[in-house]
Order: sequence, then C-alpha cells, then structure tokens
Amino acid sequence: MLKIKNLKASINEKLILKGLDLEIKPGEVHAIMGPNGSGKSTLANVLSGKNGYEIEGEINFDGSNLNDLKIEERAQKGMFLAFQYPLEIPGVNTNIFLKTSLNSVRKARGEKELDTLTFLKLIKEKAKELNIDEKFLSRQLNVGFSGGEKKKNEILQMKLLEPKFSILDETDSGLDIDALRIVADGVNSYKNKENSFLIITHYQRLLDYIKPDYIHVLSAGKIIKTGNADLGKQLEKTGYANLS
Amino acid sequence: MTQSYDFNIEKIKNLSSEEKISRQKNLDLFYKSGFPTKQEEDWKFTDLSLILNKNFDNISNDVNFESNKDLKIIKNFEHNYISLTNGKIISSSFNFEEKNKIIIKDFSQKDSTNSNSSNTLTLLNNALSSGGFSLEINKNYKLKKPLVVYNHFSKDLKNKILNNKNSIKLNEGSELILIDYNDSNTQDNFIRNTMDVVFLGDNAILKNILIQNSKSNGHFYKYIKGSLENSSNYENYILSSGLKLNKVEIEINLNKDNSSCSIYSALNLFGDQHQEIKTRINHNSPNCKSYQKIKDVLNDNSKGVYQGKIFVEKIAQKTDAYQLSKALILNDDAEFDAKPELEIYADDVKCSHGSTSGSIDSDAVHYLMTRGIPKKQAVKLLINGFLNEALEGITNSEIKIFLEKVLEKQINEH
Repeated sequence: MLKIKNLKASINEKLILKGLDLEIKPGEVHAIMGPNGSGKSTLANVLSGKNGYEIEGEINFDGSNLNDLKIEERAQKGMFLAFQYPLEIPGVNTNIFLKTSLNSVRKARGEKELDTLTFLKLIKEKAKELNIDEKFLSRQLNVGFSGGEKKKNEILQMKLLEPKFSILDETDSGLDIDALRIVADGVNSYKNKENSFLIITHYQRLLDYIKPDYIHVLSAGKIIKTGNADLGKQLEKTGYANLS
Repeated sequence: MTQSYDFNIEKIKNLSSEEKISRQKNLDLFYKSGFPTKQEEDWKFTDLSLILNKNFDNISNDVNFESNKDLKIIKNFEHNYISLTNGKIISSSFNFEEKNKIIIKDFSQKDSTNSNSSNTLTLLNNALSSGGFSLEINKNYKLKKPLVVYNHFSKDLKNKILNNKNSIKLNEGSELILIDYNDSNTQDNFIRNTMDVVFLGDNAILKNILIQNSKSNGHFYKYIKGSLENSSNYENYILSSGLKLNKVEIEINLNKDNSSCSIYSALNLFGDQHQEIKTRINHNSPNCKSYQKIKDVLNDNSKGVYQGKIFVEKIAQKTDAYQLSKALILNDDAEFDAKPELEIYADDVKCSHGSTSGSIDSDAVHYLMTRGIPKKQAVKLLINGFLNEALEGITNSEIKIFLEKVLEKQINEH
C-alpha cells in the first residue's frame, strides 16, 4: 500500500525528516508516536502533498510514485488525511463541499456522480453513524464547530470517500472521551482486510480504542524503534526520553 | 478617441415648452463641466470622462426605439413583472396581486422636483431622461410574489446614451421584493444613466436586488436615492458582475426613528471590468441602523472600488452603523480601492468599519484538494463561498437559491 524509503524532507532549508523508512501493507494499522518536533506532522504534510517541502527519497503509494501525483489525485487514488487542525472555510456550505469532494473522487474513479437527492440520503446515513447532527451539514464548513465536531467531520469525510489508506494526524487531540469513542468506532467499523491506517499520535489513549498492528517511535526525523501494540503501553510508563 | 456629444432635447417626445426650457438649463449646466473626471473627489477612482474618451467617439441620445420582443422570463420562481426596453415600459403583469393595490405608470418628469445637483450625471439625466416607471404600493399591501423589472435593450445602441428615471414608493406597512434584472449581452458600447427615487413609508420593507444576467459592454451609472420613514427597512443586493463599467451610487436617508438599511454586494470581475459602489448613509434620526457588506473578487486587470460614507447627525443618538469591504485579489494587475468614511456629530453611537484585501487562502485550497477536488474547482468553491456571504440577509429560500445560481453562473462563465 505505502512504501517509504529513506525519506528526507526539509522546509525553509531545515531538515526535518532525516531518512525515514516505513512499509504499510493492505489491512494493517500502524501508529507513529513521538515527542513534539520529531517530524510526525511533517510526515503527514508530505504525504498529503503540502507545498513548501523539499523532498528526497522514495514514496510509493499503491503502485504509483507519490511525488508524481497531484494533491487531488492522491485523494482520488484512495489516500485520505484527517487533519490535526481541520480548516474553517467561511461561506462554503458543508454539504456542497462534501458533494463536490465525493463527486470529484467518483468521477476520477470512473464512477457515476451522485445527484443531490442520492447524495443527501447517503450523507445523512453516514452522519448518523458518527452521531453528527444533520444541522452541521448545512452550516459553513467547520465554522464555529467545536474541536470534537471538526474531528468528527474529518472522519465523516473519510467514511464518505472510502479511502484505501487513511492518515489520522493527532485526531485524538481536543476530543473528550465520548467523542474519542465515536471517532474510534468510526475508524474500527471501516477497518477491513484491504484498508490501511497510519495513526499519528502523542498518546496511548487513542490506541486503547484502535488497536495498531505496529507502533513506530519517531524521534529527530527517524524511526528509532518499532514494536507491537505493547510498545505504546511501555512508552506511557517510561516516556520517550529513555529510548535511543 | 475623443468623444463628442450629440445631445438633443428636441428628439424627446411629448415635452411642453416649459419642460424644454428646464431641460435645456440642466443641459447647459452639464456642458459647463462635462462628464466627471478623477479630479472630483466622488470620482477619484473612476475617471468617467477618461473611460468614455477611450471607448466612445461620439455620444448621442438619439435612440431609434424598437422594442425587444424576445422576452426571456425567469422560470425559477413565480413573479410579477415590468418589462422595459431601453428603460421604457413595454408591458407589466401583476397577476399574483390585488391589482387595485398597485399603481404602475410611466415616469413623469413633471411629478418630480429636479434637485439642483452638483452631480453632472444627474444634470444630464434631468436634461435627457426619457422613459422610466413610477411604481406605488398602497398602504399595508404586501406583495405575495416578487416583482422582476426586466431591462432589455434595443439593438444598435452603439455610442448611445440612455437616461432613465424611476420612482418606487412603498406606502406605510407595504412590502416588496424588487429584482432589477438586466439582460444586455450586447457587444456595443453604450451608456445607461439611471436614477431611482425610493420612498418607504412607516414600517415599509423593500428588498432591492440588482442582477446583471449577461456579459455586456454597457457602461452603467445608477443613482439610488432612498428616504425612509419610521421603522422602515431597505435592503440592497448588488450582483452586477458582467458589465464593462458600472457605478452604483446609493444615498439613503434614515429620516425617522428606527429605520434601517443594508447594502450587500457580491462582484466577480474579469478582464478590464470596472465597478464602483459608492454609498452615503445619512443617519438623520435616532435609533437607526445601517449595515454594509461589500465583497469583490478581482481577476485579470479588473478594478473594484468602494467608497462608503456614514454620516451621523447630531440628533441621531443610538445610531448603529457598520460597514465592511473585503476583496480577493487574484491577479497582480487587479486593483481594489476602498475609501471608508465616518462623519459623526452625535456622541452616543456605535459605528465601525473595516476593509481587507488579500489573495485566496492557500491552506484552504490545499484542504479542498486533499479531498479530491481539482485546484480550479477548489478556487471556484472558495470564491463562491466568499461571495455567498453577501446573501446572508435573503430569507426567501426560493430567491436565495436563485441568487446562488446567479453567482455560480457569474463565476463559472469564465
């Protein structure tokens, strides 16, 4: 699904990722943990195609060289990034945004675009699964949403676009326990043999709900340790400082 | 090109000799200064004389009148209509209403007092106006359906000027949604100089929506003068994208307590299009409210201008006045000029203004693209969102959906 080899990324001539290797196979859930400034969000940004990064190394996504894909093509090919800080976009109606997004992806995949009625039926179902009030769908995108509502909206988009590979960038931050459980249930219900996940987080908390197959510790731009789900629990006790 | 004028009062039909004399006086006054230049403060961002010089070699008011028969009716919602060609009433229909509650007739210059104006375009209109409507709604009558004023234009308007005057009077307690709908997809350069006089009686409500439905080489100037009585409310929405040149000048006099007005505009300009919105809100009485929200999206080498003045008289305590202009500048050659002005003589008022201009939010574009939306479409979605905010005051959902479609079309036509 995703194969990263010796990835180096710098922004404003500052090297952040210093040779990162990572392979995620279909159906696997990987978690990346690490202290502040270790490069976790940079990895998410680079994968999403955000401007401003100088990149070296190889990233292969589902058979394509990721750097050859435009940002929208990554999404169309089945990559999804749930943002750490989902943007507020005034004036843009959430429903219209969701429909435009879904239809862009469907069109690229050679599927029929949905008409408004079919779309509304679908989105209402998906929103209900995540306990999202329908009223949010007719509001401006993320404007005035609480932190938890914004994160739920990201998971709603994930479930709508049905990606093969989802990156959750600190999706647990700013969530209360109830919202965390809803988000985790949303992810778990979407997990299957084909779909892979990369979960970026500071804390073990989210991993109590979404069980990873592998945990990687990122420190100073490199993966310094890889283990199974138990590594997270160990880290919670000992902290990152004792690893090296 | 240097334009010359060929203005002729004799060509205007059915004028008494008295009228001819009065019109000639106005024309003589106009000739003293001609079309306004940027030396005049009110026109500092729109040098009309220069623009006309560039685009016209002769300007004449002698229009061969031929009514445009292919009337395209809006199918999106039921409505009453007045159909105008070159500003003259061709037909009208108030089938949804009690007909004895509405008076519609040709505008008569005799009924209006010509204000001594320093605005030379008003002088020119006083001298040359021919055509226009006068609409009056009876006390307490609320129109069931909106009224669309269809503005059609005859062919062969090259180098012509049309001068029109309209009057809209809503008596006490009456309500109207009026959509001023321009359909003029002509390649010919022509000028339209319109003056609308609006009067709202106590508690009357008027929503006035200006729509340009097609790209046009029209050079339009519209002067709206509104006078508001107790607790009346006047809202303006300006969606006039598509015109080569447009200046909408709105003067609203909040003459009695608790009256209120708002002005919204949503413009998306391309090429060398140039549009100015100039407002003057006179708070002449206590407890009145005014609200202005101006939104411009400027592409290519287009130019958007907003000059907004809020004037608060000494007696107008508890005034609540607000104005905001926001521009998205999408090209280095595009320009936005804003001149907000507050002139306040009362001491217990709430007045504020703001103006911002900038480029499109690249993080927002990125966010949309990560959801599979191609860049061009993402930008359009953001422009649409930016302009749609100007429709926040429209509560009639049929009209709102229609206006959203108008904006979408104005954005997608390029």
